[in-house]
Amino acid sequence: MMQEVAPLPMLELTGVSKVYRDPMTLKPFTAVEEITFSLRRGEIFGLLGPNGAGKTTTIKMSLGLTRPTRGTIRIAGREPRDREARKRLGYLPENPCFYDHLTAREYMALVGSLFDIAPGTARRRADDLLARLGLGGDGLKPLRKFSKGMTQRLGLCQALLNDPDLLVLDEPMSGLDPIGRADVKQILREERARGATVLMSSHVLAETEALCDRVAILHRGRVLEMGDVRSLLESDVIEWEVTVDALPGPLAERLRSEGHRLDPAGSRWAIRVEEAGALQAMLRALTNEGIFIRSVDPRRQSLEEHFVRAIQADGRGSGRGNRASGRALRTEGAGTP
Amino acid sequence: MRRVLAIAHNTIREAVRERLVLVLGLFGFALVVGSQALSPLALGEGRKVVIDFGLAGAMLLATLLAVFLGSSLLHKELERRTVYSILAKPIRREEFLLGKFLGLWITTASLLAGMAGILAAVVTVAYGDTPGTLVGAVGLSVMELGIVTAVVVLFSSFTTPALTAFFGISAVVAGHFAEDLRTFASPGAPAGVRALSEGVYWALPHLDVFNARGLVVHGIAVEPERLAFAFAYGALYIGGLMVLAGTVFRRREFR
Amino acid sequence: MIARLDRGLLAGIFLAALLVAGAALVHASARPRLDRSLEEELLYYPSGLMVRQAALGYETAAADVAWLRGIQYYGEHRLTDQKYDLIGHVMEIVTTLDPKFVQPYVFGAFVLAQEMKQPERGLELLERGMRANPTDWKLAFEAGFLHYVCRRDNAAAARFFTWASRIPGHEPYVERFAAFAHQRAGNLGMAILLWKHVLATGNKYMQDVARRELGRLGA
Repeated sequence: MMQEVAPLPMLELTGVSKVYRDPMTLKPFTAVEEITFSLRRGEIFGLLGPNGAGKTTTIKMSLGLTRPTRGTIRIAGREPRDREARKRLGYLPENPCFYDHLTAREYMALVGSLFDIAPGTARRRADDLLARLGLGGDGLKPLRKFSKGMTQRLGLCQALLNDPDLLVLDEPMSGLDPIGRADVKQILREERARGATVLMSSHVLAETEALCDRVAILHRGRVLEMGDVRSLLESDVIEWEVTVDALPGPLAERLRSEGHRLDPAGSRWAIRVEEAGALQAMLRALTNEGIFIRSVDPRRQSLEEHFVRAIQADGRGSGRGNRASGRALRTEGAGTP
Repeated sequence: MRRVLAIAHNTIREAVRERLVLVLGLFGFALVVGSQALSPLALGEGRKVVIDFGLAGAMLLATLLAVFLGSSLLHKELERRTVYSILAKPIRREEFLLGKFLGLWITTASLLAGMAGILAAVVTVAYGDTPGTLVGAVGLSVMELGIVTAVVVLFSSFTTPALTAFFGISAVVAGHFAEDLRTFASPGAPAGVRALSEGVYWALPHLDVFNARGLVVHGIAVEPERLAFAFAYGALYIGGLMVLAGTVFRRREFR
Repeated sequence: MIARLDRGLLAGIFLAALLVAGAALVHASARPRLDRSLEEELLYYPSGLMVRQAALGYETAAADVAWLRGIQYYGEHRLTDQKYDLIGHVMEIVTTLDPKFVQPYVFGAFVLAQEMKQPERGLELLERGMRANPTDWKLAFEAGFLHYVCRRDNAAAARFFTWASRIPGHEPYVERFAAFAHQRAGNLGMAILLWKHVLATGNKYMQDVARRELGRLGA
C-alpha cells in the first residue's frame, strides 16, 4: 500500500466555539459549540440548519470576520486573519449587499484591486463572469437598481473573480428564482470540476441534496449529524406515494381497511404507505389486480421535520452535547487526528 | 497601497454620488459669491469681508462634511453589510480603515480647495488682485481637516454615528480652545487638576496651529517655518490617531 | 492567543501615544517662536454685533471666552511690549455679547485710560456699561475715578461719585469720595486716597498700577 502524504485540508475547524456576550447584561450566549470538521479538496460541503443554528457564525469565523472563543480554524494551514489565507478564497455573504453607488462593473473592478488582479485581467474576467451569471447586459447599471436575485448573482461573480480554491457561500440560493437556483447549482458543479472546494450553508435540505457531497447538520450551535448526504437522507423516507390510474371500489375498501391513506388526484389515485414491507405487499396486490402503477415516490422529511426528530432522539433535551458529538463521530470521523 | 487607494477611491465616489458634497459645494459657492453682495455694506472693507466670510464658511462646511460623512463612514458599511464581502478579501483591516480615512480626507480637502479657488476668483474679479496668501492658509486648513477626519475615523471605528459626530464636534471645539484650557486651570487650581489639564492640553489637537485665516485677511503670507511646523505637527498627530484607530478596528468583531 | 492579541493592543496604544507625544514635542518646541495666533484671532474677531449674531444663543458663554482671551492678551503684552491696541476691541465684543457683565467695562476702561492714556475711550466704555447696568454703583464710581485721576476734572468726578453714592448696595467709602471731590477740587490727596483704595480692593494688575502711580506721587 502506498503511503500518501495528505494535503492540508482546505478548511479545518477544530473544537470551535463562539460565545457572545450581550453588551448590556453580559449574559453569555453560545452561538457555536465545539464544532469540528474539515473540508477535503474538491468537495461541496453543506452546512445545514434552521435559522440561528450557527451557520453564519461558523462561516464568519472561518473568514476571520469574528474570532472563535475556543478552538482553531485553518484555511489551507493558515489563520483566517492572515491576509495570505484569503487570497485564494471567494465569499458570498448571506443576503449580500454591495455599494449602491457603484455599477456592477465598478464593483467588480474594486474587488479586482483588492485581490491584486491586474486591471485589464480583472475587467476581462468580470465581464466573463457577469455574462456567465446572466448579468452581461447589466454591467453599467447602478447596483441600487438591482433586484434581490441580480444582487445574489453579482455576489457569486465577485466571489469567483479570483478563481478561488475555496468558495464560502452563505445561503447562495436565497432570493433566487428556480432558474437562478439551477444556474447556481450548475456553476457550483463547474467550480467543483475545476478543483475548487465549496462550503455552503442552507436551511432548505432539498436544494442541497443533489449538490452537496457531504453535509453537517447544525442545531443550536452543535453538529447533530454529519456525513455523506445520501446516507443521511435515505434514512429519512417517511412514506411512499404510489400513484395509480384507476382503483376499483372493493380494492379501495380493502386498502383503507389495511390502514393506507387514499386520496383522489385528478382522475388518478394517490395511495400513501408508511412502511417498506407494507409497500411491497401492496404493490404485489395491485399488480395481481392488473392495475397500472404510474409511479412510486419516496417522500422525505423536510429539514424542519428532521430536526424535530433529531432533537427528540437527542435525549429529549437532557445530556446536551455528548450525544450530539457521539452521533457526529458515529456518522463519520470528523477529521480530528 | 493599491488596496488602500481602491478603498479611498470608492469612498470618494460614494461621497460624490451621494450628492452631499454637491449640495455643500453649491452652498459654499453661494456663500462665497453671496458674501460679495454684503460688501457694499462693509464701508470699503468689502475685500476683507468677502475673504473673511468665504474662508470661514469654506472651513466650516468642510469640517461639517468631515464630521457627518465620517460619522456614518463605517456604520453604513456595517448596517448594509457591505463591509463583510470587502473584509473577506485579502485586505488588512488597517488598510481598509486607512483607505476610508484617505478617501474622506481627499473629499473634504477638495471641497475646501474648490471653495477657496472660487473665493480667489471672486476676489480677483471684484478687486483686481489675487489673494495669493490664500494658498498657505488653505494648506494649513487641509491639515486641520486631516486631524478632524482622523478623530472621526477613530471614533467611528468603535462607537455609533451619533457619538462619533458628538466626539468629532467636541474635538473641533476643544481643539480650538486648547489654549484656554490651560488658562482655566492656572495657578489657583490644585496640583492634581493642574497636572490633568496640562496632560489634556498636550494630548488635545491644537487646531489653532492651523488657523492662519486672520493673516490672509490682512494680506500676510504664512511663513515657511510655520507651515513646516504645522505640517510636522499634523502628520505626527494624524499618525497617532490612525495607529490607534487601526488597533481598535483590528480587534473589532463583525457579527 | 489572548496574550498575543493584547500585546498587539498594547503595541498599538504605545505607538499611538509615541506619535502624539512627538506631535506635542513639535508643538512645544515651535510654539514660543511662532506664537502670534492669539493676535491673529483677535484681529479676526468681527464687531461685537456680528459675534452676537453668530453666537446662536450662547452669547454669555461666548462673552466668557472672549473675556478670557482678552485677559490672556493683556497678560501677554504686559509681560512683553506693554501695548494693548486690541483691548478696547475685545472689551467692546465682550460687553456687546453680555451687557450685564460688569467687570469688562471696569477693566477695559481702566486699561484704556491708565495704560493707553485714552481716558475718553475708557469713559465711553463705562458710559455704555452704566446705560446697560444703571443699578451698578461700581461703574459710576469707576467713572468718577477716571475723571479725577486721568482727566483732573473734579466737577465731573464729584458728579459720578455722588451718583454712585445714591445707588443702593454701594460701599460706605463712596460717600467719602464724593465729599472729598466736592470739597478739595484739585487736591493731590484725593488722588492718593483713590489709589490707596485701588491698592486695597483692586485685582493684581490694578494693584500694580496703583503702586506705580503712588510711587510717582511720592506717597
